[in-house]
Amino acid sequence: MAVRPQHMHDGGIVERRLRPIYDWLDNGNNKKALQEAEKVLKKSPNLQAARALKALALFRLGKKSQAHALLDELAAEKLSDDTTLQAMTISYRESQQLHKVCELYESAVKVEPLNEELHSHLFMSYVRVGDYRAQQRAAMALYKFAPKNPYYFWAVMSIILQAKTSEDATKKGILLSLAQRMVDNFITENKMEAEQEARLYIMILELQEKWDDILKFIESPLYSQLVPGSSAQACIPYLKKLGQWRRLNLLCKDLLWDNQDRWDYYLPYFDSVFQLMKESEINGESSADDTAEKCHEFICQLVENMTSGRTLRGPYLARLELWKRLSKDGDPTSLLGSGVALCVQYLRVFADKPCAVPDLRPYLAMLPQKEREEHSRDFLTCLGFNEKSEPETTKDVQRHISCVAAWRLAAAPMSAEECLELANTLRAHYIRSFNKGLLTATLTEFCSTDGYGILAAHHYFYAAMQQQSTAPVVEALCLLELVLSHSPANFHVKLLLVHLYHFLGNAIAADSIYQKLEVKHIQLVSLGWLHAERLSAACALQRALQLLANTSSFYTHHAKDSVEHLTYAYKYGTFEKLVELRAWGSRLEACAWGALSARERALLSLLAGPAVLLHAPAMLLPATPTDNRDLDVIVSFEPPESHDANLKERTYDQEVAYLRLKDALLSSIALCIECSDSRPLEERRPQYEELKTCIDAFSEAMKKCKEKYCDIEKISITKPYPSRIFAFVNSPIPYRELYSESVLMVGELAMGDTSAARTRCDLLTTLVNNSTRLLPKDIQLWTLRDSLETLSHYLEFIGIINCLLAVCNELFAPASTKKSKKKTNRSPDEIKTAELLNKLNETVQSSITYLEETFEKLPQHKYESTLESEFSKLAIDKKFGGCPVESKLQNGRQEMITEIQNILKRKTLFLKTLINFNSRGA
Amino acid sequence: MTTIRPFTCEDMLKFNNVNLDPLTETYGLSFYTQYLAHWPEYFQVAESPSGEIMGYIMGKAEGHGDNWHGHVTALTVSPDYRRLGLAATLMNILEDVSEKKKAYFVDLFVRVSNKVAINMYKNLGYIVYRTVLEYYSGDPDEDAYDMRKACSRDVNKKSVIPVTHPVRPEDVD
Repeated sequence: MAVRPQHMHDGGIVERRLRPIYDWLDNGNNKKALQEAEKVLKKSPNLQAARALKALALFRLGKKSQAHALLDELAAEKLSDDTTLQAMTISYRESQQLHKVCELYESAVKVEPLNEELHSHLFMSYVRVGDYRAQQRAAMALYKFAPKNPYYFWAVMSIILQAKTSEDATKKGILLSLAQRMVDNFITENKMEAEQEARLYIMILELQEKWDDILKFIESPLYSQLVPGSSAQACIPYLKKLGQWRRLNLLCKDLLWDNQDRWDYYLPYFDSVFQLMKESEINGESSADDTAEKCHEFICQLVENMTSGRTLRGPYLARLELWKRLSKDGDPTSLLGSGVALCVQYLRVFADKPCAVPDLRPYLAMLPQKEREEHSRDFLTCLGFNEKSEPETTKDVQRHISCVAAWRLAAAPMSAEECLELANTLRAHYIRSFNKGLLTATLTEFCSTDGYGILAAHHYFYAAMQQQSTAPVVEALCLLELVLSHSPANFHVKLLLVHLYHFLGNAIAADSIYQKLEVKHIQLVSLGWLHAERLSAACALQRALQLLANTSSFYTHHAKDSVEHLTYAYKYGTFEKLVELRAWGSRLEACAWGALSARERALLSLLAGPAVLLHAPAMLLPATPTDNRDLDVIVSFEPPESHDANLKERTYDQEVAYLRLKDALLSSIALCIECSDSRPLEERRPQYEELKTCIDAFSEAMKKCKEKYCDIEKISITKPYPSRIFAFVNSPIPYRELYSESVLMVGELAMGDTSAARTRCDLLTTLVNNSTRLLPKDIQLWTLRDSLETLSHYLEFIGIINCLLAVCNELFAPASTKKSKKKTNRSPDEIKTAELLNKLNETVQSSITYLEETFEKLPQHKYESTLESEFSKLAIDKKFGGCPVESKLQNGRQEMITEIQNILKRKTLFLKTLINFNSRGA
Repeated sequence: MTTIRPFTCEDMLKFNNVNLDPLTETYGLSFYTQYLAHWPEYFQVAESPSGEIMGYIMGKAEGHGDNWHGHVTALTVSPDYRRLGLAATLMNILEDVSEKKKAYFVDLFVRVSNKVAINMYKNLGYIVYRTVLEYYSGDPDEDAYDMRKACSRDVNKKSVIPVTHPVRPEDVD
C-alpha cells in the first residue's frame, strides 16, 4: 500500500521536501528514505511529518525500538496534522498496534474538535480494532456537526454489529429496535438517499425476523425509488419465510415466463408447488400450481413457448428436477415416465454442448441404481453412436463425447481389461482427429476432441488401480502430454497431469505442469492440496520450500490487508458486505492449510534451508481451523455410488490432526531452543516445564492418532492423496519416541541434569540405529509414492535432530569458547556426556549414509508406452512429435535424488563440526 | 440454466474452473475485496444448478459529468459453459445496473487479438471507440480496443462517436 496520502493538502515547501521521502518509501528503498528524512530534519528538526516518515523508515528497516521511541515522542505532542497522523498510522498498522491509532486520533480530535476528516479517521481506527461501541459514539459525534447520511448510517451499522455479537438476547433486542427506530425516523423525515441504506434497513428487520415488515417495505414506493426494478425478485425469500406459498407460486410463474432459464426462480417455484400439494384444500379457481400435474403442465408450456432462437436448458432441467422431487416420497413415473428416459432425452437435446454432462450429473444420482446400470447404454446410443463410432464433425465429436461420458457415469464400473480397451479406443479417436481436422484448439481455446484424451486417461487410471500397475498411468500421462501440446489452454488436462505425476511419486515432473497452471494468490489456498502439499511428501524439498514460502507470503499479506477492506465498506456504504468481509477475513486467518504450510515450512527449513535456524511462525494455531480446499476442481467420471459425501469432512479432520501434531512438534523444538539460551538457569526453567507439557501432549496425540487413523483412504484420480498423517503415525519408525526422547534430552541438558540426559542420549542412539534398519528396502514402482512419503518423514527427523544436536553443542561448547578449547578443563561428567552425544551424532551420520544409499537405489520407470506405435498406425499425415514423459520421469527422479544427496551431504558435514571437544583425544 | 446472484468472498475458493483458463486473470485478493466493498451490485456470478460457478462479471461506475459510465473490469465464462449466451446475460445485468445509476455509457477493454470476444461485444451493440496502444503488458505488449455502448441517458449517442487516432494508456481516464 502506498505511503503517500492521496491528497496532499499543502502544496508548498513542506510537500516538496517530503516528496523524495515518499518516493523512496513507496519504492521500497527504506534506507534512502531514512537518509532523505534525516536530511530534511537537519534543516527543520521539528517537522513532524518528516519525523513520522523517519519512524516508518526505521520500522521497515527493522530498527523497531528506535522507531517506537520516535513514534511515542510524536504521539506525546498532541498532533492534528493529517499528513503526520497518516504516516504514523501506517507504522502502527505494520507493527500491528492498531489500538495506538485510536489513541492518536482521540487526542487529535481534542485539538481540532470540528475537523470532519480527523473524526472520520477516528471512526475508521475503531473499525480496525472492531470496537463497535466506540464506532457508534464516533459516528454520532461526527453526524452532529456534519449531518451527512453516511455518518448516520455508520452509527446504525455499529449498533447492528453490537447486536450481532451480543450474547444477551434482551440486549440484542434493544439494540436492534434502536437501530430500527433510527432508520424509521429517517424514513419519516424523508431523508433516505441510497440503495445501501434500504438494504441496511432490511438487514435490521431480518435480524428481528420481521418478515411482514420487510415485504411491506419492499412493496413501498420508497423501495422502488431507492432500488429500482427489483422488488418482485426481492420478495421471494420473505414469501417463503411467511409461508405465502400461493403468492410465491404466482410470482415465480410470472418471473419464469420472462426468464425461462433462471434456476433461482425455478427452485422457489418448486418449493411452493410441493408445499401447496400438502395443503388439503384444493382451490380449483386458483391459477397457482398446487398439483404435480399442473406443475408439469406449466413446464411443458414453457418448453412450447420458448421464444428465443436458442433452446434453453431451463425447462428441460426443470422436468428432471420435478422427477427428482416427486421420487423422494412417491413414484414420478406415472406422470413423467421413467427417469432414465428423461435423462436420455435431455442428453439427446443438449449433447452438442459441453455443459450437457455437468448438467446431467446431479440427476443421474436420483435414478435407481439397477435401472440406471441396465439402461446405461441408452445414453451412449441415443444419438446413434457407440464407443467405436467415428464422428466426422466437431459438433458430432462433442455429442459423441457427451454420450460416452454420460454412459460411463450411468454404468457400473468395468473390469481392468474393459477399462483398458475403452481407453485405447478413445485414444485412437483422439489420434484419428489429427487427420480429420477435428482438432480445433488454439493457444487460448481448447476443443471438444480433448475430451477423448481426458476420458481415456481416467480409464487408464481405473485399470492401473485394479491391476496395481503403473504402466497404464504412464499411458495416461503420454496421452495427456500429447493433448496438452496441442491444446495448451486445457486446464483439465494440466490438473490431471499434475495429479498423475504425483501418483508416480514424481513431484518434479508434476511441477513442470503445475507451473503452467499459473496458480496464484487465493488459488494457493484452494489448490494447495494438489501440489504444494505433495512436494515435500515426494521429497522435492527445494521446490517445496519455495512454494511454501510463496504460500506464507500470501497469508501474511492478507493478514495485514484484511482489516482495511472493512474501512472501504464503510467508506462506500456497502453495509451488507461488511459482515461478509469480516467473516471472510477471519476464515482465511484461521485457514488450516495456512497454519500447516507455515509449520511445514519451518520444519523443512531445518533440513533443506540455508542454515540450521528455526523460524517458528508468528501465527498461533487457530482454535477452529477452516477448510478452504477446492476438491471439485478435477472432474470425475465415476458413477454416483462412488461419490463419497463425507470425504471433504473426513480428510479435513485428518489434515487438522496432522496440523496439531506438527504444531506440537514445532513448539517443542522452539522451546528446546528457548530453554537453552544464555539466561541464568532458573529463568529458563519455566520453558523447560512448558517443554515437558508440550512434548507430552505430542506423545499423547501420536498415540491417539495411531488408533484413529489406521484405515488408509482410497486413492482417487480426482481427490487428494491420503493425508500424510497415515504414514506418520503408522510408520514402523517410532517417531513418538524419537521426538520425545530428543527434545527431553536437550531440555535436561539445558537444566544441567546431565545424568538423565545421558540415559536418554543412550536410548536415542539405539532408537536411531533401529530406525535406520526400518527404512523401506526394495522399493517398488507401484508403491514408490508411499515409500517416498515414508522417507520424507525420516528426512524431516534428520533435519530436526541436526538442529537439536546443534543446540546441545551450543550448550556444551558455545561458539565463543571453542577457540580456547585447549585451555578449558572439562569435568569428567562433561566428558562422559560429550562421549554419548558424539556417539549419537555418529549414529545419525551413519543413518544419513544409509538414506543416501536408499535414494540411490530408487527404482526407475521403465518406459513402455504404446502411444507412438498407435500414432504411426493411425495418424498418417502427422509425425509423432516425441513424448516428454520418459525424460520428465527420468530427469525428475535424478534431480530429486541429487538434491537430497546434496542436502544430506551438507548435514553430514555440519554434524562433523559438532563432534565435541576431546573425545577423540584431539 | 442459471442462478444469477451477487458474487461473495467465498466464491473465490471455487472459481478455479473459471480462473484456471489462461485468458482469465487471477488478481490479488484485495482487488476482489475492493470491488466487493465498493461496487457489490456490479459483481455478479452465474451459478449452475449443481452449484458450479459458470462465469462472473465484475465492474464499476466511474467518471465525472458526461463521462459518468459503467466499466466492465472482467467478464469470464467457464469453457464448459460457453455458447449458452451466458456472457450476454451477465453483460445485460451490468448494463441494467449502469442504467439505474444513470450512466451515459458502458465501456470495456479487450485485447485486439481476442476476436471471439470482440465479435460477441459487437453483437451486443458495442463499437470500437478507440485503440489504446500497448495497453496489455507482456512480450510483446498488446493493444486494446476500448469498446463502448451508449446508455439511454446519452440521447444523442455522443459517447459512441469513435476516436480515429489511437491513444496511449496514460491518456485513458
